[in-house]
Amino acid sequence: MLSLGALAFATPWMLSLLVALPVIYWLLRLLPPAPKLVRFPAIRLLLGLEPPERTPVRIPLWLLLLRLLLVTLLIVALARPLLNPAAELGGQGPLVLLIDDGWASAPNWSVMQRHAERLTERAERANRPVAIQSTAPAALDDVQPKHGLLRPEEARAAIRALKPKPWPTDRAAAVAALQKLNLPTPAHVVWLSDGLDSKDLQAAAERALKLGSLEVIRPESSRIALTLLQPEAGGRELKVKALRAAGDGPRRIAVQGSDDRGAIVARTMLDFAPTATEAAATIDTPTELRNRIARLDIEGQSSAGAAVLLDERFRRRPVGIMGESQTASGQPLLQEVFFLERALEPYAAITIGDRTALLGQRMAIILVPDNASPGSDDRAALNDWIEKGGILVRFAGPRLAASEDELVPVKLRQGDRALGGAMSWGQPAALAEFPATSPFAGLTIPPDVRIQQQVLAEPGPDVGDKTWARLTDGTPLVTGEKRGQGYLVLIHTTANTGWSNLALSGLFVDMLQRLVQLSRGVAGEGTAQQLKPWRALDGFGKLGAPPLGTLPLPPDAMQTFRPRPVTPPGLYGDQSAQVAFNLGGRVDPPAVLGSLPSGVATDRLSEEGETDLSRWFLAAALILLLLDFVIALLLRGLLPLPGRRLGRAAGAIVIAVGLAIAVSPGDVQAQQPQPKAPPTQQRPQQQPPSPPPAATPTQPKPGDDALLRATLETRLAYVITGNREVDEVSRAGLEGLGEILRARTSVEPGDPIGVDLEKDDLRLYPFVYWPITPDQPAPSVAAAANIDRHMKSGGILFLDTRDQHITLGRGGTNADLKRLLRTVDVPPLVAMPQDHVLSKSFYLLSDMPGRWAGGRLWIEAGNGRINDGVAAIIVGANDYAGAWAMESAGRGMFPVAPGGENQREMAFRFGVNLVMYALTGNYKDDAVHLNDIMQRLRR
Amino acid sequence: MVVTPTLTDAARLASALPPLLVAAQRVATTVMQGVHGRRRVGQGDAFWQFRQYRPGDAINRIDWRQTAKSRAVYVRETEWEAAASVWLWRDGSPSMDFSSGRSVPTKKMRAEVMLLALATLLVDAGERVALLGGGDRPASGRGVPRRLVNALTESAVLGANASVPPQVPLPAHGHVVLIGDLLDPLESLEAVVRHYAAHGVHGHLLQVLDPAEEDLPYDGHVKFSGLEHEGDHTIRKVEAVRDAYHARLVAQKEGLARIAQSVGWTWRAHRTDRPPETALLSLYMAMADTGRR
Repeated sequence: MLSLGALAFATPWMLSLLVALPVIYWLLRLLPPAPKLVRFPAIRLLLGLEPPERTPVRIPLWLLLLRLLLVTLLIVALARPLLNPAAELGGQGPLVLLIDDGWASAPNWSVMQRHAERLTERAERANRPVAIQSTAPAALDDVQPKHGLLRPEEARAAIRALKPKPWPTDRAAAVAALQKLNLPTPAHVVWLSDGLDSKDLQAAAERALKLGSLEVIRPESSRIALTLLQPEAGGRELKVKALRAAGDGPRRIAVQGSDDRGAIVARTMLDFAPTATEAAATIDTPTELRNRIARLDIEGQSSAGAAVLLDERFRRRPVGIMGESQTASGQPLLQEVFFLERALEPYAAITIGDRTALLGQRMAIILVPDNASPGSDDRAALNDWIEKGGILVRFAGPRLAASEDELVPVKLRQGDRALGGAMSWGQPAALAEFPATSPFAGLTIPPDVRIQQQVLAEPGPDVGDKTWARLTDGTPLVTGEKRGQGYLVLIHTTANTGWSNLALSGLFVDMLQRLVQLSRGVAGEGTAQQLKPWRALDGFGKLGAPPLGTLPLPPDAMQTFRPRPVTPPGLYGDQSAQVAFNLGGRVDPPAVLGSLPSGVATDRLSEEGETDLSRWFLAAALILLLLDFVIALLLRGLLPLPGRRLGRAAGAIVIAVGLAIAVSPGDVQAQQPQPKAPPTQQRPQQQPPSPPPAATPTQPKPGDDALLRATLETRLAYVITGNREVDEVSRAGLEGLGEILRARTSVEPGDPIGVDLEKDDLRLYPFVYWPITPDQPAPSVAAAANIDRHMKSGGILFLDTRDQHITLGRGGTNADLKRLLRTVDVPPLVAMPQDHVLSKSFYLLSDMPGRWAGGRLWIEAGNGRINDGVAAIIVGANDYAGAWAMESAGRGMFPVAPGGENQREMAFRFGVNLVMYALTGNYKDDAVHLNDIMQRLRR
Repeated sequence: MVVTPTLTDAARLASALPPLLVAAQRVATTVMQGVHGRRRVGQGDAFWQFRQYRPGDAINRIDWRQTAKSRAVYVRETEWEAAASVWLWRDGSPSMDFSSGRSVPTKKMRAEVMLLALATLLVDAGERVALLGGGDRPASGRGVPRRLVNALTESAVLGANASVPPQVPLPAHGHVVLIGDLLDPLESLEAVVRHYAAHGVHGHLLQVLDPAEEDLPYDGHVKFSGLEHEGDHTIRKVEAVRDAYHARLVAQKEGLARIAQSVGWTWRAHRTDRPPETALLSLYMAMADTGRR
């Protein structure tokens, strides 16, 4: 094997034939080409004529070179050139493949498998048996791989059967297992490593070296698996943090959050500083969206280490507090509402209001302080709400003590006062240890919490069961009762400092949090129960049923959990509540494979195997041979085609081949059913708004160039928001849409153009896309007039809040949308009726998805007199440009959820409809009446 | 070998000939527009002019009616209308089946077109025409060209495929037109010419050559092969012998001109890439000149 960089020759001695090239050169020069054959009637006159000089006929230089090239190609082909040659299998004896199949191998798994298979192939060629040992402990449901020496096909099957595991490797154990196999020595051990260091690395390598020789294959440091740590749930946002093994230059990764159905609901970018191994970022999303995040993944890394499952702890639940905002009273800082709000604010989304306001929204839990004690109809409504799964937490106080209120979990002792005088406390009571069945179990009780006053429960047989917290004297402090699917909880003291100092302690915050967590079930962190396995991650970070035999986690698992075959990372708990145990943070922080003992060879994990180039060389030689044949015929005049005709024919062939190559990718598109060209007739008033006939003096007149650029072609426009990423997506989106329009319709838009609301005249563009971003400045009065003119002259403004209808049409409105349109004269909007022209202007559509699906479009309320009833403003929320944006390869720039590519197609169809609507107005609606119109005309 | 004329053969012949004839007619018509009669006094029926009587004129030639109209005595002269007999021949050897390019007709085609066009012209002028070696007596009339066409395609004509004209006895004062590439050795051609000249026959030689034969437009190593089994000749560097070839061709032409001149015949050269009308007109005028002598 002769190796020249990426090229090597399997039978290099053949190359010695190249020495013969000069001889061939000399021979070829000596041998004249065959004479041209000419039939000639006047040959009698030629007979006897000889050229005076006797110079031998020379072969033309180019032909000589061609033939030399031909011979060279043949010789090189015989020498079997190999691209990316694999080194000869080193060492002696059987090949032992030690394969890292821990979580960190998942991102490189297919490459590792291919590499292992190639090694097996080489061993097969060298007639050496193969043994395979994986370094991670086997999963419970794995078929035990065959140990010992394997035949090549067995080895290949074993390699294919291996899967990365969602736990770390145990290299020392793997090497020990190898030694137990009693393989014939010496053996050649090839260790396909995942590139991560481990404590037992040195020892394992040394023991492996004893078997014979050791070669360690490692991936590029930039391809070593990344780890995503558990995020910290800070006030409003999630702080995500990722680790990498080596600080090898800047790197940018994306972390995406998806909900339990796989729809991507949040995305953020993490930047590693050049030498840092840690990167952090925050995911800042509206609360409702954040609560939907069920897992976080590093994009492009499918491994258990790059996936983090989220449970209740990371969600902000909507919490309602009954009462009035504290400003209503004279002493806001003493109000119960104030204490509750301050305690919950970092962890929950709080709404303050009366019963009707709270029950009108989705609330996980409603807190009722004493001074907002519900009336009797309130109680009935609240009771219904509890039955349906709500959690009502009431606080005691003077009012509750004074009233007869049945909306409590335990019967309270009657009396106009909470038996204050009757109680014989020597001193204020402290809290007793929480019962193990209580949701508060495990919370530490600060020693200085004292309760001065409380309401007392009527003793009864069930009071003990319903007591979640009690005082040292045994009287219940917190009682709770399950009603229907929800809970009714009573705190037997006040939410402010009136009756106790509990509200001042950290315990109060913890207890409220536990109660908030109750909103999905009792089992929370730190409960004294065992956690049954519910769902488990596999090595690639896919969530599935846990393998049989997975053990439940002990109550203290929060502190002790380690990913192991019997306890894989995943969700533990039951259907109503699960706790997520992730791999990130539970394994050693990643580090690059450390130093290895001397005598260990290393190699890179490589994607590509060797490629035998000899057939390409042979093919090239064959083509040259044919070419030479044709040339020889031409030189002898035996081809019927005269030279220039041949030249023309060759040119035609080259052009035809070129065209075929250029056209072939388009075939794919051509095979798709092409929709018919749309009616091109345009309504006069719906034509692209033309520049004003006489420029108004107040309007800055754009240069003629700009006017021509904007109007020579129909151009889709987007509003420049100032946010570079959003603008780029808008541009790419409209470009993608334009591509679709060109391919499917007779609309041939030019390149999309970004418009500045302040400067550019919008009337030049029939369709303007306006993504709403929080940071763009509200349009000035002049810009608002510009927008107004655009709408009045028949243009369409398409606003996209890009927030998946979280803020649109659910009672709330998008604050940014409101802010941006404050100065604009917006006509009244209505939800788009199902039979609107937009649903049939080109395609028949039932819904209008973008990057997200669902929700409704809001359009200008129909007014037949202005612009023929064509809506001038359309508001959507599905990030349409994101769905339309295509990369150069024709793939979407962003994933589309939840419908995937199908939904993207629908998004494109909607875009086509939209542009058709902008260009043809109500034409399609009118076309429905065509029959009537024709009949009337006939009359 | 017995050739069985089949229907297809007949159809092929019928379809091939008229174009030849049409081409010849077209050439002849073009030439005819520039030629009108013999324009000289001689024996004939057509009135030519009145002329005052001169001593020596035969009395029976006096036109008494014209003389009676005036005082002078007038003699009636008629246009010379002596019909000459013309024997036409074209080289039918395989070497004539050659053209150097698609746009150039073969020498044989051009020779036959010229022959037929000339025949048409002559017949129109009242001459009698026959194929040399055909055995027919010279005839006149509009049907003659068609008959000539048939005769050309039959191989019954003596020396139909020879490159040298046959030597047949011809009456004196006849005319012979020989069309061919005339590349055979000068001696054989001279023998033919002398044979006819000795019988008092006037003659015209039209040498039809392909442009390739004139220019030898080949380069490099070329193997030439003749069309009449002359064998091959390979020249390593054609461009080096081009001048020598030209010298030989010129010598051949000069030899032909010399032979023609020595017996009072004419010689013309014609290239197949040139229009045939010029050569035909020149040949026709030359024949008129010969007749005047």
